[in-house]
Amino acid sequence: MSVLELSIVLMLLLFAILGSGVWIAVALAVCGFAAVMTKVATPAGQVLATSMWTASNSWDLTALPMFIWMGEILYRTKLSDDMFEGLAPWLQRLPGRLLHVNVVGCAIFAAVSGSSAATCATIGRIALPELLKRGYDERMAIGTLAGSGTLGLLIPPSIIMIVYATATDQSIARLFIAGVIPGMVLASLFMGFIAGWALLNNTRMPPPEPRLPIRQRIQASRRLLPVVLLIIGVIGSIYGGLASATEAAVVGVFLALILSWWSGTLSRQGFIDSLLGATRTSCMIAFILAGAAYLTAAMGFTGIPRALAEWITEFNMPSWALLSVLTAFYIVLGCFLDGISMVVLTTSIIIPLVTKAGFDLIWFGIYIVLVVEMAQITPPVGFNLYVLQGMTGRNIFAIGTYALPLFILMCLSVVLIAAFPGIALWLPSTMLDAR
Amino acid sequence: MRPALDWVYRGALWASALCLVAIAVLVGVQLGARLIDGVLALLHLPRTEFVLLSLNEICGYLLAAASFLALGGTLKAGAHIRVTLVLAALSEKRRRYVELWAFGFAAAACAYMTGHLASFAWVSFRFHEVSPGVVRVPLAYPQAAMSLGALILTIALLDELSVVATRGRPSFRAAEDAITVGKEG
Repeated sequence: MSVLELSIVLMLLLFAILGSGVWIAVALAVCGFAAVMTKVATPAGQVLATSMWTASNSWDLTALPMFIWMGEILYRTKLSDDMFEGLAPWLQRLPGRLLHVNVVGCAIFAAVSGSSAATCATIGRIALPELLKRGYDERMAIGTLAGSGTLGLLIPPSIIMIVYATATDQSIARLFIAGVIPGMVLASLFMGFIAGWALLNNTRMPPPEPRLPIRQRIQASRRLLPVVLLIIGVIGSIYGGLASATEAAVVGVFLALILSWWSGTLSRQGFIDSLLGATRTSCMIAFILAGAAYLTAAMGFTGIPRALAEWITEFNMPSWALLSVLTAFYIVLGCFLDGISMVVLTTSIIIPLVTKAGFDLIWFGIYIVLVVEMAQITPPVGFNLYVLQGMTGRNIFAIGTYALPLFILMCLSVVLIAAFPGIALWLPSTMLDAR
Repeated sequence: MRPALDWVYRGALWASALCLVAIAVLVGVQLGARLIDGVLALLHLPRTEFVLLSLNEICGYLLAAASFLALGGTLKAGAHIRVTLVLAALSEKRRRYVELWAFGFAAAACAYMTGHLASFAWVSFRFHEVSPGVVRVPLAYPQAAMSLGALILTIALLDELSVVATRGRPSFRAAEDAITVGKEG
């Protein structure tokens, strides 16, 4: 069998197994097994054991359960009330008024949480009912929430970045810091869109609320203090080189526990729920990573990634054309697959191509996170859509349409980081290295 | 049978959770010591120089054990992700057959995985392989925990296979369809 035939067969096999409801981790591993079997001399079972062992016992990957646990603890606190009360008085005066709470709230919560759906759910829990009660446009309230929730992936800490970094042997800390400025750029794009929409559709905005005196506003924003301290503790220590990603995550767990205890929301049951929830989620992701590690090792034996890289280089495409093709491919893939599978499939097959085309792997990580963000809001498979469907009872295709303008802004931000790679790469170049 | 199986899944899940707590505590102790040293240095006092030896390796092993021991409990909670797009489009009757295939296929694959992880651990045990670094942890321990976790997953898959065969749907259907925060990463 030629390499081309083999890759087509493997791809069909993977999609058939995935489609028949077999768990993603198992499907990846079985494909790896099939790929190894085409090389008669390779001991498939030994490759399985060693690649899964190497992928699972990793100090860097330890950041994953810790950040997930931190998010689980914070999800059970009153952080979302604090965020709304603290932000609302200040954002009241911008065109678009409280709709900005969605974006700013998500951006801030994203800096303590690594998940897009969790960000969407936490901010939405308070912000959405408040916005609808005050008579804001429903389409805008739901759409901007769906889009802004995806900032959870781009602004560190980020689960998907940990997955990418461990699968490609990049520094988690650097990738985290690389996400900060693109995250802010994307949030500003979202806010610009809200302001523009509000100026054009003045009639669809509710009447403004009375302005609070400055003293009361400052008093309200005191409620933001704990979350700000948490952000400084976690991201600050990574940026300053004081702690590795894992250590920062452990700091985050302890700070989140203290915050939860201090605000009186820490209960025995809540603690147990957060711990077991984190155990299950991190187990699910670690299992996918183990399956993907086997697939990656197997792919190395088949020579498919190398052949693909050579084949693409023969076209001599300029890098913008290659990126456009990849982006289109990811957008289609993102309609049907979840973010983690998209990333691990990429790392086992496309990374040699990406390196050969001369992309920086940290930069490419940010790019991947952006396309995965788009996948979160493209129906029929998109986790933020599921979350908002659960909250509002709307059909996911309807919510997808509400979020369409934000999807377009994400495409714009891909163009921006491609044109100005410094958006992603400048900040990590200034950071101190963790020990 | 039922209570015994559930006890196994639950026990392994708790063992896994305790591994994660152990990671947090170990790293926390090391960070605390570093913090105290920092303060002592500011006060021009002698440092404690307290270091947990081989902390990174030990955390890695705890993580490997945690990730695999929780596999069965995670399956039972409906938290392992899969593509349900096709399944959801099928009629309940057809879906049952596809579910039977999915559980049977996954159980066979996991049995294979269990066997090879176990023989890998056995080789480490026979040849006394230990971790690099100062503290010499026998690699067979975390590897045995991994194989045990894989075995529990295999049992859980067979268990669910029989549930689908008798009752028509997996016991975790409701939990799987519900939106668990963080599922997407």
